[in-house]
Amino acid sequence: MTRETALWRRLIGARARGQVAYPVSFLLQLFSTSLLFFVELAVVALMFRQVDRLGGWRLAEVAFLYGLSAVAIGVALCLGSGLVAFPDQIRQGGFDQVLTRPASAFVQVLAADLRLDRLGRVLNGLIVFGYALVVLDVEWTAGRLLYLPVVVVSAAVVFGALFVLEATLCFWTTQGLEVVNAFTFGGATLSQYPLHLFDGWLRRLFLFAIPVGLVIYAPSLYLLDKHDPLGLPGWLRFTAPLVSALFAAVAGSLWRVGVRHYRSTGS
Amino acid sequence: MGSGDGGEPMVVARGLGKTYRVATHRGGALGALRGLVDRSGRDVRAVDGVSFTVDRGEMVGYVGPNGAGKSTTIKMLTGILVPSDGEATVDGLVPWRQRKALAARIGVVFGQRSQLWWDLALVESLDLLRHVYRVPKDRFAINLAGLRDLLDLDPFLATPVRQLSLGQRMRGDLAAALLHDPAILYLDEPTIGLDVVAKARVREMLARLNRERGVTVLLTTHDLADVEHLCRRMIVIDRGRLLFDGAIDELRRRFGPHRTLVIDLEDGDPAPAAGPFCPGVDWVRADGPRRWLRFDRDAVPAADLIAAVAARHRVRDLTIEEPAIEDIVRRIYTEGMGTP
Amino acid sequence: MAPTESPPLPPIAGEEGLGGVGGLTTPVRLYLAVAQRSFRRHLAYRAATLAGLFTNAVFGVLIASVFTALYRSRATEGGGERIAGFDVAEMLVFVWVGQSLIMVLHLWGWWDVAQAVRSGDIVSDLMKPFDFYAYWLSRDLGRAACHVLVRFVPTMALGMLLTDLALPRSPLRWVAFAVSVLLGLLVAFAFRFMVNVSAFWLLDVRGVGYLAYSAVNFLSGFLIPLTFFPPWLRGIAEALPFRAMVMLPAEILLAKRPVAAALGVQLLWAVALTLLARAVLNRAIRKLTVQGG
Ligand SMILES: Nc1ncnc2c1ncn2[C@@H]1O[C@H](COP(=O)(O)OP(=O)(O)OP(=O)(O)O)[C@@H](O)[C@H]1O
Ligand SMILES: [Mg+2]
Repeated sequence: MTRETALWRRLIGARARGQVAYPVSFLLQLFSTSLLFFVELAVVALMFRQVDRLGGWRLAEVAFLYGLSAVAIGVALCLGSGLVAFPDQIRQGGFDQVLTRPASAFVQVLAADLRLDRLGRVLNGLIVFGYALVVLDVEWTAGRLLYLPVVVVSAAVVFGALFVLEATLCFWTTQGLEVVNAFTFGGATLSQYPLHLFDGWLRRLFLFAIPVGLVIYAPSLYLLDKHDPLGLPGWLRFTAPLVSALFAAVAGSLWRVGVRHYRSTGS
Repeated sequence: MGSGDGGEPMVVARGLGKTYRVATHRGGALGALRGLVDRSGRDVRAVDGVSFTVDRGEMVGYVGPNGAGKSTTIKMLTGILVPSDGEATVDGLVPWRQRKALAARIGVVFGQRSQLWWDLALVESLDLLRHVYRVPKDRFAINLAGLRDLLDLDPFLATPVRQLSLGQRMRGDLAAALLHDPAILYLDEPTIGLDVVAKARVREMLARLNRERGVTVLLTTHDLADVEHLCRRMIVIDRGRLLFDGAIDELRRRFGPHRTLVIDLEDGDPAPAAGPFCPGVDWVRADGPRRWLRFDRDAVPAADLIAAVAARHRVRDLTIEEPAIEDIVRRIYTEGMGTP
Repeated sequence: MAPTESPPLPPIAGEEGLGGVGGLTTPVRLYLAVAQRSFRRHLAYRAATLAGLFTNAVFGVLIASVFTALYRSRATEGGGERIAGFDVAEMLVFVWVGQSLIMVLHLWGWWDVAQAVRSGDIVSDLMKPFDFYAYWLSRDLGRAACHVLVRFVPTMALGMLLTDLALPRSPLRWVAFAVSVLLGLLVAFAFRFMVNVSAFWLLDVRGVGYLAYSAVNFLSGFLIPLTFFPPWLRGIAEALPFRAMVMLPAEILLAKRPVAAALGVQLLWAVALTLLARAVLNRAIRKLTVQGG
C-alpha cells in the first residue's frame, strides 16, 4: 500500500516537473484560468440581483456550495487525469503494458496523465470558498471546523470515484461514453445549488444513485446551520466520509471486475 | 520458488487456447451501448491448443502470418490475458494467477508501442522504471552501465523519447525491458519498421544478450532473417494452431529438401537451361554462363554431384545454396503442412 | 457505417472540374457536396447523439429548475412576475433554446482546424484547389443541419416532456428564428475558426480554449440572458458579437425585439467576423509559407 503510494508519487512527480518548469508563468496561467471559471459564479451573482434568497439561501451560502463543489471536482479532475485519459490508453494498447509491470494497474493508470492546468478550477473554488467563509456569519464550532476538511475530501473522493466508474466502463465499451459527463459535470453543476431547488428524478439521482448531494448539500446544512426543507434524516448530514468511502469501494470493486473482464476477453 | 534451477524449462505451454468474443457491430456507434447488455457476437479462435516448451537460455522464433495468434500467445504468457483453456507456467509461475510476481521476472517489448514516457528523457524513463520494478540502486547502476554499452545508449540518453528515431527508441525499449534482469524476454516484432542497418544492430545486440547473459528469448517477427540470424529453433503457427516446432535445420530438411548448386561455366559450354541431369537432379534455370542445378539433399551427396558436374562441364566456379527459410515458411503459410 | 471508418476529409467530388474546361462543376456544387457528406457522417454518430441528448436533458432540467426556483423565490419576496424582462414560461423557452443550440452552433469543443495545424495536415489541405475557409464552413453547415435534426428537435421535445416548456406557435416567428440561427452559426463558426487558427502562433491552445469557452458561455446569453446584466456589463456584451449566437435568436423567438433590426445586427457581425477570420487565416498562411510554420 505505502509502496504503491510512493510509486504513484514518483510517477506523478515526473509528469508534474515538466509542467511547473517555469513556476511564475505556471502560477500566472493557473490564476488566469481560475478567473475564467468565475463566469459560473457570476451567473449565481446575477440571479441574486433579483432576489435576496434563492430557495431560502443567501448568496454567500450558495457561494459556499459553489466553492466546495469546484474544489472537489477540480482536485478529482487533476489527480484523476489518468482516468479521464483512460479511453485513449486502452484503445492504443497502453493497458497491456501496464499489466506487464509488477505494480498495481490502478496506480499506473492513475499516473499515466497529469493535467495541472486543471488546478485552475481548484484555485477558483478556493477563492470563492474563502470569500464565503469570510462573509458568512456561521458560528465556527469545533465540530464544524473539524468536519469541513472531511467534507471537502469526501466530495473530491466521490467525484474521483465517478471518474473511476467512467474509466471502468471502457473495459466493456473500449471507448469513452459521453453519458457519464451528465453525471460528473452534471453533478458538479447541480451541487453548486441547494439540492431542494431540484425535484423528482433529478434529486433522487444525485442523492442516492450518485451521492453528490450526500457529500455536499447534506453536510452543508450542518456546516451552514440551515433548515432542511427536504426533511432528510438529521444524521445524513454526518455521513459524508462514510458515503464517499462506500462509493469509492463500489467503484474500486467494479474497477477490479473490469480489469478481470479485460484480462479474460482481451477487449 | 522455481526460478534459477536449470532443470525445468522456462516456458511450458500445454493446450493453450484463447477465444475472443467479437461483438458484431450494428450500425457502428449504438453498438457501444448495446455491447453493455447484449453479449452476442461471434467467436474468434485466436490460439487453438498450442503446446510447447522453451528451455532456459534458449532463443526461439515464434512466427506466423498476420492474425496467426502470436501476440495473443505472448499476452497469455505474460499474464496480460487469461487463456480460455490450457495451462502454462513461466519460470515456475502461472502467468495469469501470479501476474505481479511474474512481471518482475520478465521483460516485454512490443515493437508497435513504446513503454517509455513520451515526454521524458530516456534516462528519466529508465529511472522511473527502476522504481516500478524495485531495482536496488546499485544493481540499477551496474545494469544501466552494461546496457549503455551493449545498446550504445549514450548518444541519446538525455533526449526526450518523442525525439528518438525508431531504431533508437527500440534500443531504449530493450533497455527498459532489461533493467530488472528478467529471466525471459518476450519480443513482439522488435525489428518492425527498422532499416537494414538498425535491424542488423538490434539483432547483434540480441545475440550478445543471449550469449553473454543467458537471457531466454521468445521472439515474434515477420522478418524471417531475424529468426535465421538469431534462433536455432523456430515455432510456426497459423490460425492459432501450431504447425511446426523444431530446429531450423530440421525445417529445411523437411520442407525444403532441395538444395541448389549454382555453377558458373566457361564460355561456350553447352549445358542446358532445363531438363534432367541425372535421377534426382535437374537443371532449373540459366542466366548467361550461370546455371542452377536443383538436387535432393538426401538422395544425392553434394560432393558426388560436384564431381559429376565437373566431369561433364567446364566449371569456373560453384556454390551451394540452401533453400531460403522465407520461401519455406511462405510455402507453409500458403500450402499448409501437406507433404512438401 | 462506423464513424471511425469515414475518412477524416471527405473526397471531393468534381474537384478537378474546378475552373476546368467543362465549367459545369461550379464551386457551389463542390461545397454542397462537402456539406452533404458532412451531414451524413454526423448522422452516423448515434451513440454520441444519444449520450449528448441525455446530457442536454439533465442540464436542461437542472438549469430550468434553478430558474423556476428563482421565480418562486421572487414571488415569496413579493416581487413581480417578470425578471429581467422574461416571465417564467419565457425563461423556460430561453433555457431550452440554449440547450438545443449547443450542438447546432457547436458552442465549444471544436478543434478540427487546430488539429490539422498541429498534425501538419493543413499543408495538404491548403494546396487543394478550393477556398479553405469556404470548405470548412461547408462542412460546418452540413454538420449543423444534421444537428438541427438530431439534437435541436429532440432536445426541445425533451424540454416539453420533462418541464412545462410551451413553445410559440406562430410559424412566422419560427422562420425568423431559423434565419437568426443561421446567421448566429456564421458568427459562431467565424469565431471558432479564429480560435483554431491561433494554433498557428501558440504551441498550446488550451488557454485560448478556456478563454473562448468562458466568453461564449457568458456573453452569448447561453448561461443567463444578457438582460440580467447590470447596465455597464450589458453595454459591453451588446457591443460584442457573442450575443448573435444565443441571445438574439432566443429574443426573436420570444418576440422581444423587432426582427429586422435583430437580424441586421447579426448580419453585420456575420460579415465582419467572416472577413476578420479570413484575414487571420491569410496571415497564418503567410507565416506558414514564409517561415515554414
Ligand atoms: N482484443 C481482441 N479482440 C478480438 N479479437 C482479437 C483481439 N486481439 C486479437 N484478435 C484476433 O485474434 C487473432 C490473432 O491475433 P494476434 O494479434 O494474436 O495475431 P498475430 O499473430 O500477433 O498477428 P500480427 O502478425 O498481425 O501481429 C486475429 O484474428 C485477431 O483479429
Ligand atoms: Mg501481433
